[in-house]
Amino acid sequence: MDMNEIKEIFFQECEEQLAELESGLLKLNDGDRDPETVNAVFRAVHSIKGGAGAFGLDDLVSFAHVFETTLDCVRSNKLEPNQDVLKVMLKSADVLADLVTASRDGGSVDESRSRGLVKELEALAKGEMPSGGAAEAPKAAPVAAAAPAATDDSGFQPIPFSFDDDFGGDDAAKSVFEVTFKPRRDLFAKGNEAALLLRDLSRLGEMAINCDTEALPALDKIDPEETYFSWTISVTTDKTEQDVRAVFEFAEWDCDLEVSEVAAEAAEELPMVPVPFDLSALDDEPAAAPAPTPVAEVPVDTKMAAAAARVEKKEAAAAPAAAAAANNAAAAANAAGQTIRVDLDRVDRLINLVGELVINQAMLSQSVVENDTNGTSSINMGLEELQQLTREIQDSVMAIRAQPVKPVFQRMSRIVREVADMVGKSIRLVTEGENTEVDKTVIDKIAEPLTHMIRNAVDHGIESPEKREAAGKDPEGTIKLSAKHRSGRILIELIDDGGGINRERVKQKAIDNDLISPDANLSDEEIDNLIFAPGFSTADKISDISGRGVGMDVVKRSIQALGGRISISSRPGLGSTFTMSLPLTLAVLDGMVVTVAGQTLVVPLTAIVETLQPEASSIHSFGANQRLISIRNSFCPLVDVGRILNFRSTQANPVEGVALLVESEGGGQRALMVDAIQGQRQVVIKSLEANYTHVPGIAAATILGDGRVALILDVDAVVAASRGQSMKQDGALKADMSLAAAG
Amino acid sequence: MASKKADKGSLKLVPVLDLNEASVLHGQLTSMRGEDVKIDASEVERVGVQCVQVLLAAAKTWEADSKNFVFEKVSEAFEKTMQLIGINIDHLLAKEIRQ
Repeated sequence: MDMNEIKEIFFQECEEQLAELESGLLKLNDGDRDPETVNAVFRAVHSIKGGAGAFGLDDLVSFAHVFETTLDCVRSNKLEPNQDVLKVMLKSADVLADLVTASRDGGSVDESRSRGLVKELEALAKGEMPSGGAAEAPKAAPVAAAAPAATDDSGFQPIPFSFDDDFGGDDAAKSVFEVTFKPRRDLFAKGNEAALLLRDLSRLGEMAINCDTEALPALDKIDPEETYFSWTISVTTDKTEQDVRAVFEFAEWDCDLEVSEVAAEAAEELPMVPVPFDLSALDDEPAAAPAPTPVAEVPVDTKMAAAAARVEKKEAAAAPAAAAAANNAAAAANAAGQTIRVDLDRVDRLINLVGELVINQAMLSQSVVENDTNGTSSINMGLEELQQLTREIQDSVMAIRAQPVKPVFQRMSRIVREVADMVGKSIRLVTEGENTEVDKTVIDKIAEPLTHMIRNAVDHGIESPEKREAAGKDPEGTIKLSAKHRSGRILIELIDDGGGINRERVKQKAIDNDLISPDANLSDEEIDNLIFAPGFSTADKISDISGRGVGMDVVKRSIQALGGRISISSRPGLGSTFTMSLPLTLAVLDGMVVTVAGQTLVVPLTAIVETLQPEASSIHSFGANQRLISIRNSFCPLVDVGRILNFRSTQANPVEGVALLVESEGGGQRALMVDAIQGQRQVVIKSLEANYTHVPGIAAATILGDGRVALILDVDAVVAASRGQSMKQDGALKADMSLAAAG
Repeated sequence: MASKKADKGSLKLVPVLDLNEASVLHGQLTSMRGEDVKIDASEVERVGVQCVQVLLAAAKTWEADSKNFVFEKVSEAFEKTMQLIGINIDHLLAKEIRQ
C-alpha cells in the first residue's frame, strides 16, 4: 500500500469522523449531556488532527488543535456546551470539513472565517478556564524562585531531558504521575506498539521505568504475539493527568492502564531505570508515529465497539469483579462490528454480473419450459432452486450497497445553518428516520436536489423572524427532513413551517411566463405543482442562494432520473411539504408482466393492490369517455393503459381484459386495464434515459427471458395522465407516447 | 524474515523487528536451540516489544540450557529501545561491547 492509498483511506476516515463530529454536536445541541457523546466529538477531532499531522497537513492540524482544545474544556466540564458555544462549534465543524476537502482536492478555504473561528474558539477556551486549563500546554511564566529540580529518594535518579522546546524545564510546577501499563494482545494487533507509547510518554517529562518480565515464559512456551510484559512508570512533568492519559488514547481500550498523581517523595519503591534523555536514535522512524496507524487502519466500527466497551468498562470500574465480563463484552462487540472497505466499483461489477445472471437464468428457465411440456423433469426442479439461489444472491448483493441516508441528512444541517445565517433567519432542522437505508447510488444522487430544496425552503419557504412574529409564530423556523420506507420505496419528506405557497403569485407568474392560459381553471394542487415547470421562479430578486429560475424543474428532473417522483402540498400560512418517492434500488424490481395491445409491459408489483377480471355489470360509463369499475361497493376510475400510451386509438372492451388495481403515490386508486397477464417475475432495470431518452409514462426498460425488451410502466405518470394532470405537457406526452409505441 | 543465519550459531537481526517478525524470530531461535548463540543487532533500526519478549524468552531458555546467548553487536536504536522500555540487557552483551 503506497502513501497515496493510505492518504486516501485517511480522507475516507475523515468523512466518517466529520459525520461523527456533526452528529455528536447536534446531539449536544439537543441537550444530550452524555459524557460519551462529548468524548466521541473529541475523538473525532483528535483523530483528524492525528492523521493530518502524519501527512503534514499543517492548516488542518492547527485548526483541529484549537478546536480540540476547546472541546477538551467541554470534556473536562470547564465549559458548558450551551447554544452559543455549540453554534461556534458547529461552524468550526463546517470549517474543519472545508479544510479536509481543501487538503484532499486542493483549493482554499475562507481564511477570514477560519481565523475568526479560531479566535472564537480560543476565547471560549480561555474565558471559562481561568487557571490555564488542561488542554493548552501552559507555557507558564518564568518563576523567579525556580522550583528545585525534582529529585526524590525512591531509588532512581531522574535525568532531566528535553525533546522539544515546549518544556519550560524547572520553571513550572511539576507533578509526579505513576503509570501502570499492561498492554493486551489486541493493542499490538491493532497496530499500536507499546515501545512507541512509552517513547511518547517519555516526552512529557522525566521518566523512570520498571518492566515486569516475570510472566515471560521460556522460548518453547511463548506465543510470539502474546504480551507478557507490564510496566510501572514514574513521570515527572508539568503536564496534567489528562495529557498523560492522552498518550494512551488510541490504546486505552486494549490495555490495563492506571494513572495516578503521587507525592514526589512517595513514588513507588520499585527499582526504576531512568530513561535516557537522548532517544534521538529512535526518532528517525518515518512511519512509526502511533497516530496515523489507528486513523488509517482501524475501521471506525472497531473504534465504536471499543467506545461501547469503554462505557461498559466505566460501569465495571465500581465492581472490579465485573471487569472480566466487560472485557468479554468488548470482545463480542469487536466481533460484531467488524467491517471491511471495498472499492465501490467492485461491488457495482458484482451487481451488474448478478443482474446478468438473473436475466440469463430467466432465459434458461424459459427455454426449458418450452422444451419440457409436462414440467416435471429434474432440470426443471433444479432450475427452481437456481432461481431461489439467484434471488438470494441478488438480495445479499443489493444489501451491500444499502446505506442509511444519515450522511446526506447531516450535510443538510450545514446548509440550513449557512443559508439561514446569510439571509438572517433563525432555523432549526429536525431530521427523522435518518437510519433508513437506501441504495448508495440513490444516496449519492439525492444530495444535490435535496440541497437545492433545502436552500429554497430556507430562502423562500421560511419567513423572516419579524414576519413570523407578526403572524404569531415562533420566530425560529423549523424545517423537518424525514425518511421512511413505504411500499418498497423510500419516501423523503421536507416540511417547512413557513408561509406556504403564494398561489396567486404562482398563478400570475405562470400566466406571465406563458406556462398556462389566463383562463385556466386549476386546482390548488395543480397550482402548487407549477413551481416544477421549467424556467419558473417566483423570487422577486435573484439572490446567491436560490431564485435563478433553474430551481425546482431541475430538482424534478433529477428525481425523475432516479425513477422517483416529487410532489408538493402547501397550506397558506402554515408551510409546505415536499414529498419525494424514490426506488430503494436502481437495479431490480418485482414486476407483473402484462400484454397491452400486442406489447409486453412490466408493472411494478409494489404498485399493484389486486388484480381482477371485470364483469360487464360492474362497468359504468361516466361522462363522455370515462368509465368506472365498481369494486366491493366503491367506484374506481378505469384507465385503459393501451389508450393512455397511444398503443391503440379506441378504448378496449374491459370485459375482455384484466384490471390491475393500483395505488399511486398520492394515495389515489385506479384500475388499469390491460389485455392479459403473462406472469410475475423479477426484472433487471435498464435505464431508458441512459440508453434512449426519457419517455413519459414509462419508468425504464428490461430484457425478458426470451431476449425481448419490455417497457416498465410508470404507474404514477399513467394515473396522473388519466386525471388529465399533465396539462400543457399533455401534447408532448402524447407525442412521446406514440414514439414509445412506435419504438 | 526476522534474521539471517550467517554462520552456525550466529543470528543477524533485520532492521525492522515489528509484530510481524516476532513469529519469524521465534522460529529462527527455536531452530537454534541447544547451541551457543551470538546475536548481531547492529542493523536494528526499530524493535517492538514482542520481538524483545521473544529475545528475552530465548535468553532465559539458553540460560536454563546452560548455553551462551550473547548480543555480539547492538545498534544505538536497539540499545535505546531497551532502555526506554526498562529492559537491562547488560548481562547479555558481549564483553567487548559492555560499557
